[in-house]
Amino acid sequence: MNPSLVRVLATATLLAAIGTGCETVNTSEPAQPAFQRNMVSEKRVITDASLARRVQVQGINVSEGPGGFLKVQAEILNTTRSYQRFAYKWEWFDKDGNLVEGPASVAVTRQVEGKESLFLQGVAPNAAVRDFRLKLYENAR
Amino acid sequence: MNRAFVPTAIALATAAFLGGCATQTTYVDPGSTRTITNVGELNVQDWNMASEAMVNSLISKHINSGALKGSGPDGRAVLAISRIVNSTSLQIDTDVLVKKIRVSLLGTGKVVADITAGLGGPEDPLAAEAKREQQFLGTQKVAPRPDYTLSGKIIENRTRQGNKSESTYIFQMALATRDGLAVWEEEKTITKQGKRSAVGW
Repeated sequence: MNPSLVRVLATATLLAAIGTGCETVNTSEPAQPAFQRNMVSEKRVITDASLARRVQVQGINVSEGPGGFLKVQAEILNTTRSYQRFAYKWEWFDKDGNLVEGPASVAVTRQVEGKESLFLQGVAPNAAVRDFRLKLYENAR
Repeated sequence: MNRAFVPTAIALATAAFLGGCATQTTYVDPGSTRTITNVGELNVQDWNMASEAMVNSLISKHINSGALKGSGPDGRAVLAISRIVNSTSLQIDTDVLVKKIRVSLLGTGKVVADITAGLGGPEDPLAAEAKREQQFLGTQKVAPRPDYTLSGKIIENRTRQGNKSESTYIFQMALATRDGLAVWEEEKTITKQGKRSAVGW
């Protein structure tokens, strides 16, 4: 067989194999959003650079309802072109920095399509909570 | 061969043999994603995710919005648990879900649970007896009625295609007032897929 033909066929097969694993998401939204998010400046501690490259936190905004419970929303972006699984967990702290735990303080698994962004929402377990931390985990089932 | 070598080798071989037979048990954080999950069952992770979703929704949609009204101590709302229907093929204790929700709601400081009211009888018979005694003696004129009741249903849906199987568990919950009006409702769907191994054991 012609060596150049083999090379072309091999490249085409490889590209097809890569292509089958990539299903990205197209999004559309108003150019001028009707809302204004109260974004918070964050401090990031990254120990899993691989996960941080693939699933990125775009921003975190907070709000407080009439009941005084802190509500946090984080925008997550899958920077890759392939489906990703991850888990997240919210940790809540009172004004003295003490961890406020409850049965709902658990890791939650999520899936995100290629190039898709999604929002993770968390609400404080009580009105005494003043601060939070978002943890992202890899290898979620 | 060195005489000391033989007993040492036997001892090492015995230790290796026994070590190989011992089951390795480790503790895992039940709130993590390291727990065992399978398609045909409701696992710890599923209960965790369902309760987390329900509590988050209840707090953000009803409690944090200031819609919660209560007649209990310090103006807290009195909650009683109604029927949680298990509409799955599994034998499950719905208290796994209900207790997590109740503990979280109690932790908000806005809700108290009435454990003397229940469809299958009081959860705490002694507390129910003490309440009746108080009413009889007149120290408590009117028994506080629950401001809200929590009811729900768990539904299962299974499907299979080739060697891939899928289970979907739908958790539905509603919070109703004394008037019987649902003021909060939520549904959380958990879907799990798995492949059946080619060799069955």
